[in-house]
Amino acid sequence: MLTNTQAEKHETVKEMMRDAVLHDVNKISLFGFIDVNPGLISAIVITSILLITALIIRIFVIPKFKFIPTSKFQILLEEMVGLFDNFAKQNSPHRNNFLGAYIFGAGMYIFFGTLFELLGLQAITTMGHSITLPAPLSDINGAIALGCLSYSVIVFGGIRANGLKGLVHALKEFSMPLSMSFRLFGAMLSGVLVTELVYYYYRLSFVLPIIVAVLFTLLHATIQTYVLVMLTASTYGSATKPEE
Amino acid sequence: MNIPLNISWQQILLHLFNFSILTLGLYILLYNPVKNFMEQRKEYYNKLDKDANDKLNEAKELEITYEKRIADIEKLIEERKASAAQEAKLEAKAILKDAEKKAEKILLDAQQAAQQERAKILEDTQEEITQMAISAVEKLLAQSSSGALNQFLDAVKKE
Repeated sequence: MLTNTQAEKHETVKEMMRDAVLHDVNKISLFGFIDVNPGLISAIVITSILLITALIIRIFVIPKFKFIPTSKFQILLEEMVGLFDNFAKQNSPHRNNFLGAYIFGAGMYIFFGTLFELLGLQAITTMGHSITLPAPLSDINGAIALGCLSYSVIVFGGIRANGLKGLVHALKEFSMPLSMSFRLFGAMLSGVLVTELVYYYYRLSFVLPIIVAVLFTLLHATIQTYVLVMLTASTYGSATKPEE
Repeated sequence: MNIPLNISWQQILLHLFNFSILTLGLYILLYNPVKNFMEQRKEYYNKLDKDANDKLNEAKELEITYEKRIADIEKLIEERKASAAQEAKLEAKAILKDAEKKAEKILLDAQQAAQQERAKILEDTQEEITQMAISAVEKLLAQSSSGALNQFLDAVKKE
């Protein structure tokens, strides 16, 4: 499950790199309805894992929270929520309840979605090959979805706060969905490509993956989470700022 | 229509749907409960802080009230002390005056009693002298019978 040497050998490195960018060869059937890119399957798996974990935490951990924390896990959860909540409050002092929840979701999705590729979960393509599931946002459709949704959140936040003026203000940043989507896609893809390349060659798959896969993935997961969250929060803050 | 880079609207919508469910689920299951808990704790400690501040202010007000009361009482004590001293002074003066009056009266009475005694003594003495003279005369008369009486009567006549 963790490694599959057979999966690497059914295509050349050129085909593999091209497929990592375009996802036009290896498709996976989504419950038998349609064939989708592996990134979407990764996104569904990540969503399931995060929601199940959140449900377990909600049922078994949160009710045992104490005002003076005694467990490190409680401190970690509070830090995570507090981090995004403060980020929303600092960047958007006027309207931040929805923004906090949104950037928390987006942050968790990007961070854990990026780390997800470390698991090396395998899936069977429609052609019968086994492939490693990539990070959800290395699929351009996923990156476009997140970029456009973030922009929509900003536009609707602006309209809700300032009406037509807010809309005009948000529309000024018309290039944002494009830049957000492709920046995210490019950053994720670069990580995937380097990792794929390293894993492709047998000799490079000793020791080096520890540095490349773990450190590089951790680093760019953190950076991309920060970049998208920061961009969304600051633009949302300026769009929802009350007009003087 | 073929969109470059294998972009598929269908998959974009599926990603959007997936991400929306994730965000909503994380909000309901994790973000909101933890945030609520943190706010409850904040409110609890703010309330504690407010209560402590209220009590501190109350204590300060009490301290000010008691200090004022103590100052008032001290002032009252001083006034009463001064008043008592004044009263004592006046009373002492009155007692002294009374004592002086009594002393004068005693002296006067003593003088009057002494004068009365003196007068009485003088009176008693005169009476005694008279009695002594009478008895002396009687004795002389008894010793010298009529001769002597005549001599005496002659002498008295000559005088």
